Amino acid sequence: MLRRIAYWMLLVVTSLLAGCASQGPVSLQEVREFADASARLGGYAELSRRYRDTFEREQPYLAPAAERLARENDARRRAVHDDFVAIQKTLVLYMQTLSLLAGDARYDLSERIDDLGNGLKANADSGLQQRHIAAYTGMSRLLTRVIASGYQNRSVETMVRDGDPDVQVLLEAMISLTRLYYKTNENEKKTVLGIFDVEIPFSNRNSDRMLVTLAKVHYLNKSTEYKLIDRRYELALQGLTKVALGHQKMRENMNRLTSEDVRRMLRTYGRDVRIIRENLSGD
Amino acid sequence: MSKPEQTQANPTIPATTANAPDGTQAGKALADTSAAAQLAPATATADAVAPSAAPEQPAPTPSTTQDSPHEGALSSMQGVIELADQLSSFADQLHERIMADIRDHSTGRFPEHTQDVLRALLDDEMLLRQRANSLYADAAAFVIRGLGRPQGQLVGLTRDAAKKIRRIGLIGDATGLVGGLLSLAGAAMAGQPAGVVLALDKIRLHNDALQVLSPTPPTAAA
Repeated sequence: MLRRIAYWMLLVVTSLLAGCASQGPVSLQEVREFADASARLGGYAELSRRYRDTFEREQPYLAPAAERLARENDARRRAVHDDFVAIQKTLVLYMQTLSLLAGDARYDLSERIDDLGNGLKANADSGLQQRHIAAYTGMSRLLTRVIASGYQNRSVETMVRDGDPDVQVLLEAMISLTRLYYKTNENEKKTVLGIFDVEIPFSNRNSDRMLVTLAKVHYLNKSTEYKLIDRRYELALQGLTKVALGHQKMRENMNRLTSEDVRRMLRTYGRDVRIIRENLSGD
Repeated sequence: MSKPEQTQANPTIPATTANAPDGTQAGKALADTSAAAQLAPATATADAVAPSAAPEQPAPTPSTTQDSPHEGALSSMQGVIELADQLSSFADQLHERIMADIRDHSTGRFPEHTQDVLRALLDDEMLLRQRANSLYADAAAFVIRGLGRPQGQLVGLTRDAAKKIRRIGLIGDATGLVGGLLSLAGAAMAGQPAGVVLALDKIRLHNDALQVLSPTPPTAAA
């Protein structure tokens, strides 16, 4: 009876092996970590909001003629905000799904197979011999790993390969937009700070002292705020560039994802993106 | 906004008088700015100030400036961004000019009319910045044009992957492959040939299902 079972199982394993391209020990951990870090990068959404709300911040500093123009600009920025955010949402969803697909939580069955083997041991007096149990456990582990990892690997490969051109286009758009956010912010900063450059030297009567003091404090606060914001544009751009490069490398090396150098490279990209994200949320 | 008499009264900023009283020059001056990049700072500043002399004029948007000889450069997003960068840079130069003028007043006292002239220049600077930001907004709108297709494709791909994730759950499911193996072991231990055959059928079924779900072309299922 047991011999027949073993024979059957051998048949099943052979047919499964024939159906799958033979792979080495498969680990998609690096893909998962990179996709996960990319999905959580942050920065872009916040800076998009900041760009949309430019007028709110600069309005108090604007003379009437400039304010009229600023209002027009405000309407134009608000009109496209949803589209700007939609790009990022698409990418985040893609990365989250890629992370799930490359995830091992659902597919790593070895622990359950081990449990199964232990269960059999407990009932060893039912007639099963130790070597049968060992053979059974070993075969079933092999079976599940071959099925799960082969399928999973090919699914991840398909997703990365087919997705890369679009991922690159969208990331490029996000990088271009972030640069434009930065340039717009530069003009906002100089608008807000510029008035003090000019008005503080004009206010040199004794009765102006309190006004000048308040103005200087305000100037200091504002220039600190803009310095911190400048850093965020820089970080966001670095992060988006890393994600684009990491995904491109992943696609280029898709068929050798299990080789140690590719895994190390992908690990580095994942770690870099995580560090950038930590810096973004740390400020 | 600009006051010609006072501007003339201030000897340190003679450049502003060139275009300021003549509102009709405003649109042309802005169109010229893209060509003015190579000019010396002082001349460039003079051109850059001009648009604000006629604030009531409609803003020269890229669509109107495209009538100028620079149409080729403006037809691309990069051209729009470059023009905006130049406007921003003119605004910077104008600001430096204002600040230099303030520093030059060794007395530290500014007569009312001097202050008005410098404020008017600051207003001009802010207008230039708004015009630059308006061009940046144009460029940003240009960036997202045509992104519908890649976005749609990526959403489709993501949806497919999500389906695979749901289906692949079969492997680990209690009624799935591992479940089949468990029944097989149970039946073998209990010495039930019928149970063994049933369990083996189940395993084969899941194997077939996995072949069908295979991401490689459907030939794998055949």
